[in-house]
Amino acid sequence: MKLSIFDYGAGNLHSLIKALERPGVSVQVDTDPTLAVSADALVLPGVGAFPAATAALGDAGRVVMRDAIRSGLPTLGICLGMQVLFDASDEGGGAGLGVIAGRVDKLQAARIPQIGWNQLELGVERDALLDASELRTAYFANSFVCRPHDPSAVVAWSTHEHDRFPAMIRVNRCTGVQFHPEKSSAAGVSFVHAWLREVQT
Amino acid sequence: MLTRRLIVCLDVKGGRVVKGVNFVGLRDVGDPVALATRYEAEGADEITFLDISASAEDRATLLEVARRTAEQLFIPLTIGGGVRTADDVGRALRAGADKVSLNSAMVADPTVLTACAERFGAQCVVASIDAKLDDGGTWRVWTHGGRTPTNLDAVAWAEECVERGAGEVLLTSIDRDGARTGYDLPLMRAVSTRVTAPVIASGGAGNASHVIDVLADGHADAALVAGILHDNVTTVGALKDAMRASGLVVR
Repeated sequence: MKLSIFDYGAGNLHSLIKALERPGVSVQVDTDPTLAVSADALVLPGVGAFPAATAALGDAGRVVMRDAIRSGLPTLGICLGMQVLFDASDEGGGAGLGVIAGRVDKLQAARIPQIGWNQLELGVERDALLDASELRTAYFANSFVCRPHDPSAVVAWSTHEHDRFPAMIRVNRCTGVQFHPEKSSAAGVSFVHAWLREVQT
Repeated sequence: MLTRRLIVCLDVKGGRVVKGVNFVGLRDVGDPVALATRYEAEGADEITFLDISASAEDRATLLEVARRTAEQLFIPLTIGGGVRTADDVGRALRAGADKVSLNSAMVADPTVLTACAERFGAQCVVASIDAKLDDGGTWRVWTHGGRTPTNLDAVAWAEECVERGAGEVLLTSIDRDGARTGYDLPLMRAVSTRVTAPVIASGGAGNASHVIDVLADGHADAALVAGILHDNVTTVGALKDAMRASGLVVR
């Protein structure tokens, strides 16, 4: 299976690449959105800012990537990568991919950014990836959070101070996580592996 | 809710973890990658590498160490020491750091904080502040590893750093550093009630109650420990257990 990490140009991808490197998975890092969506699965990593990410996509790239994800390209968006799946962000930067309806806005909390390990509040519907990995406390580093129009897509929530926000969302074959599984120790790496198994089957 | 963090700090020089008193008589205590992954396995929430090298060659070595570490470590890694420019921060992030701390360089030129936050996001910019109480009862900022005094008020300076783009404050009490008599609770309280960003308390940890005190009473979001682990006074597991038993929410 060919897997592409779309690189917006900033930050550390080493741990993510290592977590994704499994037997039968070939990981490539792409800066060209068209190349990125030609893989069998796509990861949108979680480093940088919303405007930088949408600039890296460009108008043409945004359409290509949006159509590929809507057509069923298995996609994992991490932190900023989850936010990019939405329509737009208060962080600026114009239109996001628009795969998930809703906006990204600032956490309503005194302590911002949220940095550290937060607990996942699981929904009524059990999620296979969370079950398989037993990930219950995950590492977050963010000032912005997603506000989907349809909260039924949210499979896990977290709360920072009094603001409850989506920690994980699932829309068809597209998964978004506000936390960093590649920084959430052994359970986080298990989560990534569970996602890879799901994509491969 | 967010858990309280325990962060392990390792001094790195020439690609090895070293330990010493006042940078004299440094002793080799092991391989950074092996130690970092061991602390992760024991339950550390984050790792910090502090580069105490004097030369550019050693700095290049640290980036190579970060690269090797990032491929095996699956908790956040912060790199600090000798970071001067936004380009330095970029190099450290690309090498494998998740966060980078600045200290003397941001005192010399505070605009570097804003430049880094705009390029890489506030969440990876850590303002490292070394503070020492003066005779008038004000905490002053010291730079260059605590050797050079400044006129900056540490509490106001912390606030300015956050306003300029720092996403976290790593606050070290020079008075308590290495003393193992407990963190400087009034200093930690003064800063953590003034700034919006999370505060990491550093300097003075001697035992588990000190860690609990600074998180519960010092209002710090995270506690940094170093010497007491390297000298086998306690372990990460024992500290986390004590934190949990005290009622703090931990991972």
